[in-house]
Amino acid sequence: MKIIKTLLVLTVIISFAFVCVHKYYVSITKIEYVKEQKSVQIITRIFIDDFEKLLKERYDDKIILASNLDETQIDNHIKKYLLSRLNININGKESVIKFIGKEYDGDVVQCYLEIEAVENIKSFTIKNSVLYDMFTEQKNIVRTDINSKHKSFILIPENDKGMLNF
Amino acid sequence: MNNIKYYVLSAFFVTVGVFAQQDQEKKEPQQGHTNQNKFKQLYDEFSTPNMYRAASGAPGVAYYQQQADYKMDLVLDDVNAKLSGFETITYTNNSPDVLKYLWVQLDQNVRAKNSQSPLIEGSGVGPVSQVSTYANTYMAEGFDGGFNIEQVKGTNGKPLKHTINRTMMRVEMPKPLASGEKFSFSIKWWYNINDHVNGRGRSGYEYFKEDDNRAYVIAQFYPRMAVYNDVEGWQNSQFWGRDEFALPFGNFQVNITVPEDHILDGTGKLTNRKEVFSKDMMKRYEKAKKSYTEPVVIVTQDEVVEKIKTKSSKTKTWKLYAENVRDFGFATSRRYIWDMMAVKIGNKDVMAVSMYGKEGNPLWEDWSTKAVASTLKSYSRMTFDYPYHKAISVHAKQQGMEYPMICWNYGRPDKEGNYSDRTKFGMMSVIIHEVGHNFFPMIVNSDERQWTWMDEGLNTFVQYVAEQDFGKWYPAALSEGQSSYPSRRGPAKNITRYMGGDQDYIAPIMTKGLNTYQFGNNAYGKPGTALNILRETVMGPELFDYAFREYSQRWMFKHPTPEDFFRTMEDASAFDLDWYWRGWFYTTDYVDIGIKDVKKFYVTTKPNKAGSDIAKRYSLDEKELVYFVEDGSDEYTAGMKSESISEKSTPLKEYLMDNFSAQERAKMKEPKYFYSITFNKPGGLVMPIIVEYTYADGTNKMETYPAQIWRLNDKEVSKAISSDKEIVSITVDPKLETADVDASNNSWPKEVKQGDFDKFKNKVKN
Repeated sequence: MKIIKTLLVLTVIISFAFVCVHKYYVSITKIEYVKEQKSVQIITRIFIDDFEKLLKERYDDKIILASNLDETQIDNHIKKYLLSRLNININGKESVIKFIGKEYDGDVVQCYLEIEAVENIKSFTIKNSVLYDMFTEQKNIVRTDINSKHKSFILIPENDKGMLNF
Repeated sequence: MNNIKYYVLSAFFVTVGVFAQQDQEKKEPQQGHTNQNKFKQLYDEFSTPNMYRAASGAPGVAYYQQQADYKMDLVLDDVNAKLSGFETITYTNNSPDVLKYLWVQLDQNVRAKNSQSPLIEGSGVGPVSQVSTYANTYMAEGFDGGFNIEQVKGTNGKPLKHTINRTMMRVEMPKPLASGEKFSFSIKWWYNINDHVNGRGRSGYEYFKEDDNRAYVIAQFYPRMAVYNDVEGWQNSQFWGRDEFALPFGNFQVNITVPEDHILDGTGKLTNRKEVFSKDMMKRYEKAKKSYTEPVVIVTQDEVVEKIKTKSSKTKTWKLYAENVRDFGFATSRRYIWDMMAVKIGNKDVMAVSMYGKEGNPLWEDWSTKAVASTLKSYSRMTFDYPYHKAISVHAKQQGMEYPMICWNYGRPDKEGNYSDRTKFGMMSVIIHEVGHNFFPMIVNSDERQWTWMDEGLNTFVQYVAEQDFGKWYPAALSEGQSSYPSRRGPAKNITRYMGGDQDYIAPIMTKGLNTYQFGNNAYGKPGTALNILRETVMGPELFDYAFREYSQRWMFKHPTPEDFFRTMEDASAFDLDWYWRGWFYTTDYVDIGIKDVKKFYVTTKPNKAGSDIAKRYSLDEKELVYFVEDGSDEYTAGMKSESISEKSTPLKEYLMDNFSAQERAKMKEPKYFYSITFNKPGGLVMPIIVEYTYADGTNKMETYPAQIWRLNDKEVSKAISSDKEIVSITVDPKLETADVDASNNSWPKEVKQGDFDKFKNKVKN
């Protein structure tokens, strides 16, 4: 078999006339601090096909997402994976993130996570390395809405941390 | 009977006018400005119509297009995965210009070792890498792709001077080619075929380790003539890998030599069927020509399983001839199963064809050919009768790519033959989409290199219509609990996340395909949805469909530009759409229309302060007027709610007696409630305001205020509404048909809507 410059070719022709294949590797994470609920609400949107590829490679080759079958086991994998790839530090302390669940929205998996009992936020640091282990050109966009301030980060493997001070 | 309403309402407006005037007096001197109106005509964006392209959007009286005819002999070396060809191009110069040289496209060079395509992509060094990625990126020598051009010669056998600039080759002719003249020349070439699965690419082969075989889907495989026209001159913009193609029409005579046990199909009519078909295949083919409901299998799975146990060392030549096509593609393998079915289009039969490996089953034998047939019917209704004699859907992993009469499509069950809904509908949708590309851009031949949306956007729009048809015509294709086809793109609400997203990563639709962010949303999703909204909400299907068909038929087998489309849609419908094109296609603005304020008034004969002031200023008798008092204001008194103004106001009574007959008066309405509703528009796009009024008695009324309501104030507009019933709620865009990105301001009284997060959390709890 011929050896192929997978990475190069992937980067070059990330793009096709495809109707259903998205052309770039990106996830979007929305983080909102709801002070009344003392809650940091996190919604992460990841393309189903990217995520499926990762879960297959990491956990089980038989995994099919959105198959209409019971996904309890898949949810466990997703929980384990996301919690290992998402680190949030509030006021200098590592936060405990709770995985609430996921749902499908078109070609996207929407994952819900929460940090509870957050009295106030003076500093906020996020590290998001979701899918970096799968796609070198993965970009993770993080949008925060904390203390009525909106901020947007684009995290890449070489720079996977975003920091905010209030 | 409406007069009474106008009478009171005109007074209503006077007040508003006076306040506006007072406001203005306080303002500082202002600077001037150019026309920024959202309804400004598109004269600056559009080129001036001319003899080639008319102001109506139709081809002009001097419209011309070039022709390129090809004769090709191709040989596939299956052992080395190598394709070689000898081609003769006959180029006809129908332009009024004299051409000194010709430009030929060498698309395969995007895979050449010295290709610049990888160099325009940003990259970086990460903290970690998979070993395979590391080895392939930093250690391996890489794939030896790209064209090897062995000779370029004139018909007299003399070499022609030629220069290769990456993916473009300039061929110099012995003497300039005058208008109306033809020039023939030949090119001898070969290249190593790439693995399209591991290397990715629109064409190439997939290798099957278990039986050591390849399935080839071959395209942009030959040096192809570039387009020369009145808009671009030579369209020789380099091929970087993503932006697609611009190709002239022509006739193709192609002989393809492949291993004897291969099954091959491609663009054009098979002219030596008897030489390449077995007797059984011939019989089945004759049967398929008369089968309109179920496909007939020409080469069965059992036959393929038997055949791939060995490999023939002999060859066979398949001869294809195609007229009036812009390109040529083919698929060949000893692994292909082949089925066909006839479909009536107009008064002729077209063959719907599928080719797939056994790994595509059971999905492919069940649905591919039916999806092809269904697509041809839907698109023919929306545009023109499909003019070619067949349409083929070939199964290829991770592919979704279109060529005249043939396309490659993904969608593969797992090894046990099971598949998810996502795989099933992904496969059906990609087939509908790629077969649909026969219409745009294969026949309505727009310039893909320049404007991706012109074929992808129009095609995504018709794809939505065709998917909905497919769900209706083949309900068995749907899954349990579904009543219609689950289309991904088309419905307005599906584009709001993109359009309301981060402006740093959105480009206007009118952007060269190569330079857009979020290619799929930019060139497929947004234009497809924009046309769907235009059809269903703005113009209505009747006006839209006539104009869309007119565009398709005007530009069938021709080369349209965006303006030809925009102009034709207006020309054929008398619908002024400059504002729509400007907003949706030339900007990244989004729709967000809301209700800012609702005030409720009652009408009374009792003068209010503002009313008497106006009466005094204009020397009017205050007894001659009626007055509006806001609910809950200081001047409001309890009795006003039940007051009958036509009883209490003598001047009004007299006016009615003087101007209307008893019969007319009997029919008059007596509105009791008056509302001043202010709509605001945080979004940049102007759109019609679609409003649902719900009354106290539970009834409701829909009202649409045309987009032009925004022409004098882009920020907010007010509407006075009179009613004999009390309004209890008002909703803007209740059916989510305008792609309004923020629905939280769409209702009065304001609904406190739960956010996504709380909604999901509650759902999980319950």
